[in-house]
Amino acid sequence: MRRISARERPAFLEFYDRYAPLLLSVAARVLGNRPEAEDVLQEVCTQIWRSPEGYDAALGTLGGWAVTLTRNKAIDRVRATSRHRRLIEEVATSAESDQSAATSANELLYGKERAARVRVALNTLSLEQRQVIELAFFAGLSQTEIASRLEQPLGTVKARIRRGMLKLREELGDML
Amino acid sequence: MIDERTEELASARVLGTLSAEEAQLFDRQAQDDAELRALVAQLRGVTSLLAGTSAALQPSAQRRAELLRQLDHPDAAPANDAPAGRGWLPWALAAGFAMLCLLLGWQTSVLRGRLQAEQHRADELNRLVDTLRLESADLRQSVLTLQQSNRLANMRIAMLASQLHADPQAVAVSVWDNERQSGVMVVRHLKPPPKNKDYQLWIIDPGYPSPVAAGLLQVDPNGNGRVEFKATRPIQSANQFAVTEEAKGGVAVPTLTALVLAGA
Repeated sequence: MRRISARERPAFLEFYDRYAPLLLSVAARVLGNRPEAEDVLQEVCTQIWRSPEGYDAALGTLGGWAVTLTRNKAIDRVRATSRHRRLIEEVATSAESDQSAATSANELLYGKERAARVRVALNTLSLEQRQVIELAFFAGLSQTEIASRLEQPLGTVKARIRRGMLKLREELGDML
Repeated sequence: MIDERTEELASARVLGTLSAEEAQLFDRQAQDDAELRALVAQLRGVTSLLAGTSAALQPSAQRRAELLRQLDHPDAAPANDAPAGRGWLPWALAAGFAMLCLLLGWQTSVLRGRLQAEQHRADELNRLVDTLRLESADLRQSVLTLQQSNRLANMRIAMLASQLHADPQAVAVSVWDNERQSGVMVVRHLKPPPKNKDYQLWIIDPGYPSPVAAGLLQVDPNGNGRVEFKATRPIQSANQFAVTEEAKGGVAVPTLTALVLAGA
């Protein structure tokens, strides 16, 4: 990131070639539309190049920051459309299904073995924990909205999210 | 030691479910807490791996090239950027509208010119009709005057009308002096005959079984002519006069299907 901040173009291209597939995959999953997802990817990459000071290494990796930016921009876009309701339905039901058949962005980024470890880690979560985490991250619902949708107390939702995230941190600690 | 409440906030922060105000408060809290920042960094790594469970997609080479262009020229809009694409549209519409206006203006000018030409032609025709009407009236009046004159009591005066559909304006007046056995014919608006033809005068006398030839009639390019004529036989009573189109030099017996003028 230091090299990108110094406007070193090769460093930026290295970042792009490594993380662009992941960022595009996230945007496409949220938006359900590849051209729009490519637009979001472009916006995020341009922002990183022009405003690298927004990155704080103490709060995570460059890839993690880029994922957050991408997810937030994609959620903002989908919220402005009538597709948000459909997205929520998709995310709510996807937690119940096994998506291991498709090649994941993790496989491209970290290889099959590590991608498999992420899937195993997710499978250690309860269905309820996985559902609330995915509704928050991929559908952009607030904890209150999740509680309302699932007809669960807000405290229960918060607790499920906390336990689920800590469980994943524990399972994937050496990859973080 | 991070309490459960802060862990909830940290989880919510990396998942993006905090409001802007809550996120700001949390970030301020994390600035002074290294342990909390480490937790956030780890949880953000978790969300990154979670994001990576999405089906893999590869960006197109075209998008990569566009991005590189944008990096080199920060002010340049991407090639497929919609607002940039719309930028030329008003100019294109304006240019198209201007072209349409020019075309309509040109067509209007042409039509106005044609209309003026047609109006001019209509005016000329109206003037011609008026002239013919006046001339015709003058001739009729002249004929009536001559007929009523005692001085011309021995003369046969006739007005010949056109027998041609294609040349209805043609008109002639014939004055026949029976005593002198000669006459004068004045003709107006009779188109000249074809080069191999001549107009021929005829006097219809009941004493003869067929019209009596009375010479040829020449007209100028404007269709006007005057001829003094004599009959080829003695005329007892000149009842009618006629003009036919005949072979060059004239014929002995008229071709009645080629009748041009006739009248009594």
